[in-house]
Amino acid sequence: MLKDITFGQYYEGKSLIHRMDPRAKIVLLIIDMVFLFLTKNIYSLIVPAVQIFLILAVSKVPAKMFLKNIKTILPIIIFTTIINLFYGSGGTVLLSFWHFTVTTAGVWRSVYMASRIILLILISSVLTYTTTPNDITDAIESLLSFLKIFGLKTAVHMLAMMMTIALRFIPTLVEETEKIMSAQKARGADLEKGKLFERIKALIPILIPLLISSVRRAYELAEAMECRCYNGGVGRVRMKQLKYSLVDLYAAIINTAFCGGVILLNILL
Amino acid sequence: MSNIIEVNNLCYSYDGDAQIVKDAVHNVSFTVKSGEIIGIIGHTGSGKSTLIQHLNGLLKPSSGEIKIEGKNIWEEPKKIRDIRFKVGLVFQYPEYQLFEETVFSDIAFGPKNMGLTGDELVGRVEKICDVVGIKREYFEKSPFDLSGGEKRRVAIAGVMAMEPKVLILDEPIAGLDPKGRREVIEMVRRYRQQFDATVLIVSHNMEDMAVLADRLLVMNGGKLEMFDTVYNVFSKGDALKKIGLSVPMVTRVLNTIKEKYSGVRTDIFTIDDAVKYLCELSAGDSNA
Repeated sequence: MLKDITFGQYYEGKSLIHRMDPRAKIVLLIIDMVFLFLTKNIYSLIVPAVQIFLILAVSKVPAKMFLKNIKTILPIIIFTTIINLFYGSGGTVLLSFWHFTVTTAGVWRSVYMASRIILLILISSVLTYTTTPNDITDAIESLLSFLKIFGLKTAVHMLAMMMTIALRFIPTLVEETEKIMSAQKARGADLEKGKLFERIKALIPILIPLLISSVRRAYELAEAMECRCYNGGVGRVRMKQLKYSLVDLYAAIINTAFCGGVILLNILL
Repeated sequence: MSNIIEVNNLCYSYDGDAQIVKDAVHNVSFTVKSGEIIGIIGHTGSGKSTLIQHLNGLLKPSSGEIKIEGKNIWEEPKKIRDIRFKVGLVFQYPEYQLFEETVFSDIAFGPKNMGLTGDELVGRVEKICDVVGIKREYFEKSPFDLSGGEKRRVAIAGVMAMEPKVLILDEPIAGLDPKGRREVIEMVRRYRQQFDATVLIVSHNMEDMAVLADRLLVMNGGKLEMFDTVYNVFSKGDALKKIGLSVPMVTRVLNTIKEKYSGVRTDIFTIDDAVKYLCELSAGDSNA
């Protein structure tokens, strides 16, 4: 049950996408997302769609992993689709009741919206599937390092360190939660039955020990870091340096070509 | 004496998409008589903790059955909570499970879940604290203000307050100072005497096992390696060594003495017995 929580859903692999520099992946992802929103209608969506499915294929991550991600946000997709059905104006009226009318334009619009969300999820899951959480944090730190000209270098480092630590402790806390749950169950705690309020109350015996042990761990970690002379990023160097390679250049060129395609379609259509 | 615990062909494997299908517990069968103290020993990862979590129904066996007082505990899955009141399980480092504002209410958590209220509940908590020696003045203290050893005792008392017929403790003395260890062991002894309980203790401390246990259950790689009296298990020092365990320290001392002076007995497992034996030996020597 708790084991199903996946965070940092890295999928081991050696594909071209895996080998890309995480910084390049993040930047290109942001650009692609922007262009996804620049598309005007379902036709101009074809270019990013082709591009995204190409990336998916190159990443060699099994399709069922992506389907899993789409499944989790299915309610949002359905909700947007239904809402958008009533928003289109123009086209022939298909259905009309009370204050609502559904037109062909509305149908096209909701299909467009839904596909855009799906594509958005797909392209962002490529990043999390092909990049380890630690690489992502490193990349964010590196990408944000321009902030140092505003005197924010330590702030950027702190942010990255906080993210790294948070990621590192997720499995530990999951394990701890399971232990505490078993222990309270052994004392007869009932976590499955009861009304909503009772169920929330039943969580107290789990949350309080969990909170206390998190605080304890935080102190221990802080002490351990100080013992190893951690002083908050000043003068620190990395063992694993991020390096751009040819793959990143090719990716950038191909990406630009697709983005140009989107602009072209927008002008033509 | 009747069998209070009966385990037949218990198998358990952690699920998940593991390609390596390996049982955490494989084909384990044993019976425990009412009132016995059983020591469970085994190397880290030998399946001890998995085994004991089956006995109170926290884990459901993949195959095989567990009978408590002759009744299969999974016969009525909805009543599994009643089994947990009958078989009390104290986890490793139980002090991390304390959560209430006062010592009293933390100890009362288990009995409260059993449905006790009012005077009955207060009586239950007071009784167990008298038995195991937790003073009344602690009742209104916060459990988080106590020392490590005190916290541990309060946490164990929280399970004992349910007055389970079978008490299982996972490494109850790990990480305690000698005084804390003595107190916890004393507490378990008193509980057993008062309630005629059956006790199962998981421990890495062979010395305490030798003093406390009637029989030892040795786990290795998820399988039951030995289940015999303390004497018979510790007599097989070489076999224990092979699976990463050892005999008590004092027995090892006697083994070393034996290398120099053959004829020294090495089948002594507690410090008290060893002292007595060595005194007899030296008395015999001076007489001769």
